[in-house]
Amino acid sequence: MVGTRILAVEDDERIRSAVKLALEDEGWTVDEAESGEEAIEKFNRCKPDVVLIDIMLPGIDGFELCRTLRRTSDVPVVMVTARNDTHDVVAGLEAGADDYLTKPFAPKELSARIRALLRRIRPSAPGHARLVFGDLELIPDEGKVLRSGEEVHLTKTEFRLLCELAESPGKVLSREALLDKVWGYDYFGDGRLVDVHIRRLRTKIEADPANPRHVVTVRGLGYRLQT
Amino acid sequence: MSEGGWFRRLLHRSRPAALGLRRRILLTITLGAIALSLFLAVTTYGLTQNSLVRQAEDAAVTTSLRNAQGVFRDLRSNPSTAQPAVESLTNIGVTRYLIRYQEEWIGGVTPYVDANLPEQIVERVVDRGIPSRQIVDINGELNVLVGWDVPGVGSYFQFSSLEEQKSTLDSVRIALFFASLISTGLGVLLGIFSARRAVRPLSTAAQAASAIAGGRLDTRLESTADPDLGVLTDSFNDMAEALQLRVERDARFASDVSHELRSPLMTLSASVEVMEARRDDLPERAQSALDLLSSDVVRFQGLVEDLLEISRFDAGAIRLHMEELLVAEFVRQAVAVSAAPKLRLEVSERSEMALIRGDKRRLARVVANLIDNALAYGGGEPHIVISVVEPDDEPMAHITIAVIDDGAGVPVEERDLIFERFARGGGAGRRTGSEGAGLGLSLVDEHLKMHGGRVWVEDRLDGQSGARFVIELMASELTD
Repeated sequence: MVGTRILAVEDDERIRSAVKLALEDEGWTVDEAESGEEAIEKFNRCKPDVVLIDIMLPGIDGFELCRTLRRTSDVPVVMVTARNDTHDVVAGLEAGADDYLTKPFAPKELSARIRALLRRIRPSAPGHARLVFGDLELIPDEGKVLRSGEEVHLTKTEFRLLCELAESPGKVLSREALLDKVWGYDYFGDGRLVDVHIRRLRTKIEADPANPRHVVTVRGLGYRLQT
Repeated sequence: MSEGGWFRRLLHRSRPAALGLRRRILLTITLGAIALSLFLAVTTYGLTQNSLVRQAEDAAVTTSLRNAQGVFRDLRSNPSTAQPAVESLTNIGVTRYLIRYQEEWIGGVTPYVDANLPEQIVERVVDRGIPSRQIVDINGELNVLVGWDVPGVGSYFQFSSLEEQKSTLDSVRIALFFASLISTGLGVLLGIFSARRAVRPLSTAAQAASAIAGGRLDTRLESTADPDLGVLTDSFNDMAEALQLRVERDARFASDVSHELRSPLMTLSASVEVMEARRDDLPERAQSALDLLSSDVVRFQGLVEDLLEISRFDAGAIRLHMEELLVAEFVRQAVAVSAAPKLRLEVSERSEMALIRGDKRRLARVVANLIDNALAYGGGEPHIVISVVEPDDEPMAHITIAVIDDGAGVPVEERDLIFERFARGGGAGRRTGSEGAGLGLSLVDEHLKMHGGRVWVEDRLDGQSGARFVIELMASELTD
């Protein structure tokens, strides 16, 4: 993963510098931005592989920045929240973040998160050439999903989530299993990551996201992909 | 917490020692009702008696005057004998009379005889010729005695019974007695009602005060139009307002401080990590300093997280993410990420499949805090025992997770105290005093309360030295 570029968006200069130092120790190149406006400009110029966004930014805030990036890119985004309250975390995930960390976090934790996100970009098991679920068609090798023959645009994490469900069609995968396979979390990962991503996935691949046909919830157990 | 403590003490102090306000009001009104009833009864009785007796006397005077005139007419027309006079009296049915004629007493039926005439009236009527009346008691029967005299002719006395008036008065007395009873009873009812009404604002205030003491700081008394109560209500509400502001300011301060501490902590921990990566390049003394720095940065970070969690509790801003958890699996995972991942775990067969409902990340903090506590104060190797307890009086089974250490144990008098914030226990000397900021156990306590469970510390069950910290949670289900 040498050559990986990370864009760190954080308005506190001292934190930015320290995090940059710690991430550079991992062998990554770190670009800094202290506001949302600067971040958008740097993003277009540096083409980072991962973006780290602090929610509390002057000017356009972290949520808005994330939504702006999501309009043109499926780059993995890690949100940094001040609290792990439902509101901030879910709002961040719904704005399109792939994962989140709560301040103060250990930089080791951050690099572990980034590594998990980077791993996701290169799917590990290209076992099947195509998988078909009713009107859904998955082409893991190309990272493509077709619904009724039309390509659906998924983020890397959504795609990975769908692939994991597709690997064992009809079988229920628990939140813990999905957290482990997709995000690399242990037992204590946050189940809301799965829930929000499943919700977002449904809006893209389901004809009626409120009554999903493909990605169904099995109460108390987890999720299942079916035709 | 003790915010409400002073207030509760104040309430206790203001409670009167002997009679409560309500009883005093009741007593006063009851006594008043009794006095008023008695006064009314006595006055009514007296007035009735007076007017009845006067009427009877007036009637006696009128009839006896008429009879006397008849008697004197008969005596004048036939001075030799009183016989015609006696006859005409008998004809009109008068029996209770006495005629004094020619120094003789004529007529009279026992006991209405001259012997029973009071001397004064005889002296006044017969000797001095003054018409007189008097109430006399003849063998227990009251009579109005009226005497008339015509000088040179004779005197006439007539008794008129007051028995009829007496029985009327008896009925009046009975009626008045019951009327008094009823009005006294009504007075007591009024007393109870007024006492309740008077005390109601007080009991409302007391309820509000204990609600505030219980942590519901936004409790207020309803405003009232009553100017007397308005003073109490307003000052109570002002006090509650001030108290709430103060408590909230304290809580916000703690929360703000912790939030402000995060940013420098971020910088610190990231910088320390960069330095740790280059630890081998540092001279030995700098390495020791770096080790101190990094371990305290970790401690500092834990403390700030605990403070934030505590201030969330105080602000009531905790939202649990409840899930069904297999308790044994959960504890194994929690131990694996704790400071003692190799810790020995005893899981009873029954608890292997037991389920609880809980916020797994918060409960993991609970387990981690208890393990940290055991490592810091317990000495030796702590171990954990999970068991299922089925109380007889409750439908749901309990799950207990006990963290057992080999330390000196916790003295009985400190067993509640150690769950208070920043309490470090009097045994600080015995224990490794610098470890543990004393928020860990209070967080355990708060988390368990949020989960509807509890935590306590006791002696080891096997009689050896050491503490046994037990957390108890409701089993949501036992899967067999």
